[in-house]
Amino acid sequence: MRWVLLGAVVVACLGYLIYSATGASAEYYVTMAQMRQHPPQGEVRVLGTVQGGIRTFDAGRGIEFTAAQGKDQLQVSYVGTMPEIFKPGVQVVVDGRPGANGVFVARSLQTKCPSKFTAATPAAG
Amino acid sequence: MLLAQIGAALLLAALALGLMSALVGFSSGYVQDPLLAPVARRAFYAMAALVVAASAVLIWALLSRDFALAYVTEHTDRALSLPLTAAAFYGGQEGSLLYWLLCVCVLGSVSLAAAAHLGVRLGAYATGFLALICVFFLIMLVLVETPFALLSVVPTDGLGLNPVLRDGGMLIHPPFMLAGFSSYAVPFSFAMATLLAGRQDAAWMRHTRRIALIGWGLQGVGLMLGMWWAYHVLGWGGYWGWDPVENVALLPWLATTAYLHSIQVQERRGQLRVWNLFLVILAFLLSIFGTYIVRSGIVASVHSFAVSPLGPWFYGFLAICVVASGVLLAWRGPMLKSAPLRSPISREGAYLAQNVIIVGITAAIFWGTVLPLVTGMFGTPLVVGAPYYDRAGAPLFVLLLLLLAIGPSVPWARAGRTWLRSLRWPLLALVGCLCVLLALGQRGAGPLIALPLLAAALAGSAMEFWRGGRYARRLGGGWPHSALRLARRRRRHYGAHLAHIGFIVAVVGIAGSHFWQSSAQVDLNPGQSVTVSGYHLVYQGLSQARVGDHLVTAAHLSLGDESLQPEQVQYASLGQQTLPRVAIRSTPWADLYLVLDGTSGQRASLTIFVNPLVTWIWVGIPVMVLGLILGNVGSPPPELETEPATLKRARPAVAHS
Repeated sequence: MRWVLLGAVVVACLGYLIYSATGASAEYYVTMAQMRQHPPQGEVRVLGTVQGGIRTFDAGRGIEFTAAQGKDQLQVSYVGTMPEIFKPGVQVVVDGRPGANGVFVARSLQTKCPSKFTAATPAAG
Repeated sequence: MLLAQIGAALLLAALALGLMSALVGFSSGYVQDPLLAPVARRAFYAMAALVVAASAVLIWALLSRDFALAYVTEHTDRALSLPLTAAAFYGGQEGSLLYWLLCVCVLGSVSLAAAAHLGVRLGAYATGFLALICVFFLIMLVLVETPFALLSVVPTDGLGLNPVLRDGGMLIHPPFMLAGFSSYAVPFSFAMATLLAGRQDAAWMRHTRRIALIGWGLQGVGLMLGMWWAYHVLGWGGYWGWDPVENVALLPWLATTAYLHSIQVQERRGQLRVWNLFLVILAFLLSIFGTYIVRSGIVASVHSFAVSPLGPWFYGFLAICVVASGVLLAWRGPMLKSAPLRSPISREGAYLAQNVIIVGITAAIFWGTVLPLVTGMFGTPLVVGAPYYDRAGAPLFVLLLLLLAIGPSVPWARAGRTWLRSLRWPLLALVGCLCVLLALGQRGAGPLIALPLLAAALAGSAMEFWRGGRYARRLGGGWPHSALRLARRRRRHYGAHLAHIGFIVAVVGIAGSHFWQSSAQVDLNPGQSVTVSGYHLVYQGLSQARVGDHLVTAAHLSLGDESLQPEQVQYASLGQQTLPRVAIRSTPWADLYLVLDGTSGQRASLTIFVNPLVTWIWVGIPVMVLGLILGNVGSPPPELETEPATLKRARPAVAHS
């Protein structure tokens, strides 16, 4: 009985820890359509495919590009270290928030990296 | 052409043998037929032999560049070096399944060959479970994703390999990782067999402990190589990104870490019987879960694996395994009586606490990984990143370090005053480290908590060697000789402490780069300089060179007399895809990590990271594995053979209750 009680306390503590950490740091993984309908308050994560016409500024440090998700498109700007294999056709995951004039300001930009010898971007190949 | 037919036939025959092995295994175990049980085992060996042969055929097809096979065409081309061509064996989806199966077959055969002393029923059931797991993989390889599929038109050359993966890391990281992953099937099968057979003893555990250790070591090396590779090749300044694919690789390893500790409580005290079975089952389920996550593409990851039809199959297999092991545990678990824990302040109490913490960390990482799946069922999915793992993991990790400092010295059964006195050196190290950090101006809670605890743990383990050395001096017969004899006799003890020291060293590296990483992004014209964390870098200029099919742009920087060259490589053949090649200057204190982000004219955009103490990660993990090896090679030391009196006393109580 003592052990059951102790176990319950441990599980409760752990549960609270995980719950509070989730509440403090989770962000929504939204589609572009969702973002247009309900402009998010905090940071969100969006997945998209890089389209052609990438514009660089700041000596190649900053980029602005269009990401597409099905029929939806989103203008994204990002300043920081370029991930490897960034080019049209690559899928990217961006974290950030919509800024002024509809441009999504990305805090982090990750390309989906090719794993396991499978060709990285057969679509763009 | 012919190779494909041979390979496919071998796999089909292996499937038939696997089914037979499973069927005969379970039935001979049920009726306890000592003549039929070896038949099941031999069928397993035969299946294993056919899988080895099929693997050899696939490797031969790759090396002979037989582009009639879709697998060869999709993963290699004529320009690819021979080692990387051979590595394509485990590089692709289908090949990695075959490699996984190969590992289970080899490790399973080895453990079954030595299982004669376990009795007819346990051995036969274990054969049955192992064969069933192999049958699942063989069904995948024969029906769903076969590596021996043929192309209708034979191309003259293959599609080649992505340049990111053309690296030595690719040769060694996946095979270690996958071998470790697959090894968990063996302890799992024996655990399930012991449950099904209704056995009370720990024979299954003693029998599979080595396999669990081997799997744990292989996967530990695999994880480190993955981190090393990410750090040196990908160019984002870090080594762990809390990506789902990384997380699921860590989960079974954590469960096994817990198991390798709690094993000793059962060996020494006859406690935690059900818990140990649970941990072994958990490790296997997590390895299948990981494969499901990775192969199904159900959780968005930065590692984009080709989405394949394997997803639902693995999901089904995982569900069957969860239900089967759950039912067996619920049915047989209550019959397994463990001796009660006498005092929480004891070695067994420390192991239990360590287990709870590690399972807690596992649960937190699991939750972070499946959160988008769970929340996605009710609406917009939620995702978590590094801040979540920091927040949820940090308190648990601090508790773990505290236990690491005091746990290994707590006596079995009940701790007394002598033990408290033995804590004075770790305590002294803790206070000393704290004072040094404060004197150096550290005020952050993280370093002030973690590093003193690490110092205490290091002092505890170092004390153990010092005490051993002092004891050996009294033994006579020449000090180095007697110390070596002592170390050999108490191999597991000293191996474990060496592994702990390795772990501590690796965590120092992780803590250093986590707490004190600094970075700067700069644009420099030739002649301009920048100072980051005391490193004064002068930019000299750019140079370009064409090497083979790619264009290399190098930025030349000097640091005192040394020159550093971060590069950018552009592959014309791959749609002008560019890759950074980082320049890293490592010292024991810190890594200077330079990334060339872009150029315009002679102007270079650079990201500069200073990662303190990172080198110690690459030192610590090998030391950890070395401790594991030294502690367990050769014939089992005497302390394994003879069970202490306490366990023998505990046995009759088990029989009565």
